[in-house]
Amino acid sequence: MSNNNVLISGLGVISAAGRDLSETLESFSTGRRNAGPVTLFETSLPYPVFEVRDLPEEFYPEHQRTAALALCAVNEALQDARLGEDLSALRVGVCMGTTVACQLNDLDFYTSYRESGAASMGPVDRYLKGNIAEFISQRYRLNGPALTVVNACSSGTDAIGIAMSWLKSGLCDIAVAGGADELNRVPLSGFGSLGIVSRDPCAPFDRDRKGLNLGEGAGVLVLEKADSAARRGISSGMRVLGYGSASDAYHLTAPKPDGAGLETSIEKALSDAGIAPDKIGFVNAHGTATHDNDAVEGKVLAKMFGPDIKILSTKGVTGHTLGAAGGIEAVFSAAALREGWIPASAGFENQDENIPIVPVRERTEIRGESALSTSLAFGGNNSALVFGRGRKT
Amino acid sequence: MGTEGVQDLARIRKTLKELLVKDLSLEDITPEEIKDDEVLFGEGLGLDSLDAVEIVVILQRNFGLDVKDMENRKDIFYSIDSLARYVFESRKDSVSDG
Amino acid sequence: MNIISAGMVFTRGSGIGSFENALHEGWRIPGEVEYSKSNKSFAYQFDQTTIRDKAVLKKMRRADKLSKMAVAAASEALGNSGIDDIRGKNIGIITATALGAQVTTFSFLDDIIEYGESSVSPTTFSNSVHNAAASYISMVLGIRGPVMTVTRFFFSFQSALQLAQSWLNESRCEFILVGAVEQYGDVLAYIQDTKLNASPDGRILPFNLNPAYQVPGEGSVFFLVSNKDTDTALCNIEDVYLDTYEKESEKPDVNIIDTDGLLKDESVYAESLSPDIPTAAYSPVFGSMMSGSAFNCLAGALMLRNRMLYASPVQDNPHGLNIVDRTVSRDIELIRCIRYNCYENKAVICLRKKQ
Repeated sequence: MSNNNVLISGLGVISAAGRDLSETLESFSTGRRNAGPVTLFETSLPYPVFEVRDLPEEFYPEHQRTAALALCAVNEALQDARLGEDLSALRVGVCMGTTVACQLNDLDFYTSYRESGAASMGPVDRYLKGNIAEFISQRYRLNGPALTVVNACSSGTDAIGIAMSWLKSGLCDIAVAGGADELNRVPLSGFGSLGIVSRDPCAPFDRDRKGLNLGEGAGVLVLEKADSAARRGISSGMRVLGYGSASDAYHLTAPKPDGAGLETSIEKALSDAGIAPDKIGFVNAHGTATHDNDAVEGKVLAKMFGPDIKILSTKGVTGHTLGAAGGIEAVFSAAALREGWIPASAGFENQDENIPIVPVRERTEIRGESALSTSLAFGGNNSALVFGRGRKT
Repeated sequence: MGTEGVQDLARIRKTLKELLVKDLSLEDITPEEIKDDEVLFGEGLGLDSLDAVEIVVILQRNFGLDVKDMENRKDIFYSIDSLARYVFESRKDSVSDG
Repeated sequence: MNIISAGMVFTRGSGIGSFENALHEGWRIPGEVEYSKSNKSFAYQFDQTTIRDKAVLKKMRRADKLSKMAVAAASEALGNSGIDDIRGKNIGIITATALGAQVTTFSFLDDIIEYGESSVSPTTFSNSVHNAAASYISMVLGIRGPVMTVTRFFFSFQSALQLAQSWLNESRCEFILVGAVEQYGDVLAYIQDTKLNASPDGRILPFNLNPAYQVPGEGSVFFLVSNKDTDTALCNIEDVYLDTYEKESEKPDVNIIDTDGLLKDESVYAESLSPDIPTAAYSPVFGSMMSGSAFNCLAGALMLRNRMLYASPVQDNPHGLNIVDRTVSRDIELIRCIRYNCYENKAVICLRKKQ
């Protein structure tokens, strides 16, 4: 089966930029940045974060914030794809990236165990029910494969790549794929200790960038084989055309300075899509606003696509949502292709003389029928997705 | 610097070497084998960016020092000598401040 | 796809040879452990000094035990490939782990509690993320293909195998190092003994079904898989059934069941067994782990290659099941490895003798 037959039949997204796609596009067009101090938990850390406010209660399983965020996005995507509550007659898989929901890192549970040698099993039970793909699969009674990808910051992108493989190998006809992560004090503290979290709103690709801000949210695509969509009477011009992934084999936390792994992953994604670099209309870059990430990424993108390629980082409006980032940015990329414009890359003011590329400073119309979204992960994995718009089928 | 200062610096250097070997899990090297002026990063001891942020935590936990703006304070991290001098000077400042 | 080669570490040593020895020798009492300050229990722990390839450890001074186990197993699998220029090939890595670096995560929480949020160790944090082990494999072995870590509790390993099959079929990779890794920790022992049945005498009784007893284990198994074949390949993985109905196939020679007490009641396994097919279970030699399926799968692969039926190490058999009770030479054609999860879904890995 060719990638051209993998349609995007639904989109769903939630982040600090909005609780659904229309709110998000509104934030994009006004340039609103909802960063602020942490309110979700007690902390002494001075970093601004991008929290989701007013999470709809009907999606809020008790104390399972990542699951709640995921459900919000999945629900929107399924509705967008005109898939109802009962999916039992279809073969639907679910592949989701995360970082927080896979870890048993409940501080109250552990403090109690440390101090008294005993602790309530409540957090453990929630954790065991909270494997994010399995949770969604159970909730919607899906009968296709379910898998949670825990590949750090490229998890969401990889989850979509894996879902494409499932569709191509016939393991399912429809796949819900993306990522979800909540803001949590453990990674906030961890990233802080690495010296890569900014005390100001982040400034991707800017000369004076001081690091990332953490965010939270979920982004989900409904991917569907063309014949399944046709059977359901659904048409869509949006497609995931290609996926590529490659490792730096270099360092646990730092990207390889020459960006060789990133370059390979983009080459593989383009070749998987069967298109040349000049067909890419814009790149939704990883752009975390850390010194190293943006330097490496900017260098590679300029080298592969020329210095005039339109790029943006949406982390200026969502923060770095870790395992969700690839899913959220996939939704943004697909929506931008559909809408025909990308917003200004929030937080950017001055070019860094070490980065041979400048992100878009204003709302920009897109020419070209394809887009690229990149993710660079802790541990050296790099992944890229190519999206396309075309005739509705 | 008086004799006391010299002794104090020597003690700090010794402590730092022990902490580095232990907390950075350095293998095939004992604290005594680290030279005072050996380059810590890249060449020399071969430490990397993750070791650098770990050293920040070592300074915090063991000497109560908060290194802000690491990017512009690379001079501190050059060698055991420079680290020890930084610890020594910072302590002196905080004593005179107090 | 074929299992070209394998590598492993577990409670009784490092390397495929030590696992074969354990399958021959049978059950041994696990070590005693203590948790919750004074509770005593049993666990199958891995001794890191048994890792023979010290050179790989040199390249990962900062790594935790979980990552070291994974690298040791993956490195052995690659070393056993019998392919001269294997490192130059297009290799991917898929690591399955149910619980990941939980031990390091708890020591990171110790940091937060003891030193405060702004004085935590960045190295501990970096090692606590789920994909650290796979990253170390890629760094130490110099593998630049896709590097993935996946998790789905009981079906983590089966999911990883299924993905490996898809990647090979679409030529994303020529070879894939696919495996599982789990680590023992005292918090885990506390949780398991609280929620499940602790084994009173250190024995897992895989045929008891209800009540089922668990003894935590740790270790790692990695397979080098490919659609290619080699003279020394162990066996063929014919199919992985997961979240789908199992295709009716011919009668297997052996069923290997992943019973290990991680379900409090394992009666559901009886549905998959048949009186005329012998059943084996090897969890008593490596311990209870949600991705322990990888160890049973390795036992199956070795049975096919060695033309050997290994006796089940603990043979208490109150339901009168047809169990493999003696180690004998046998030309085996087909093995089914069966695992159920807490939702009573079934996963089956079908292993076939190399043609």
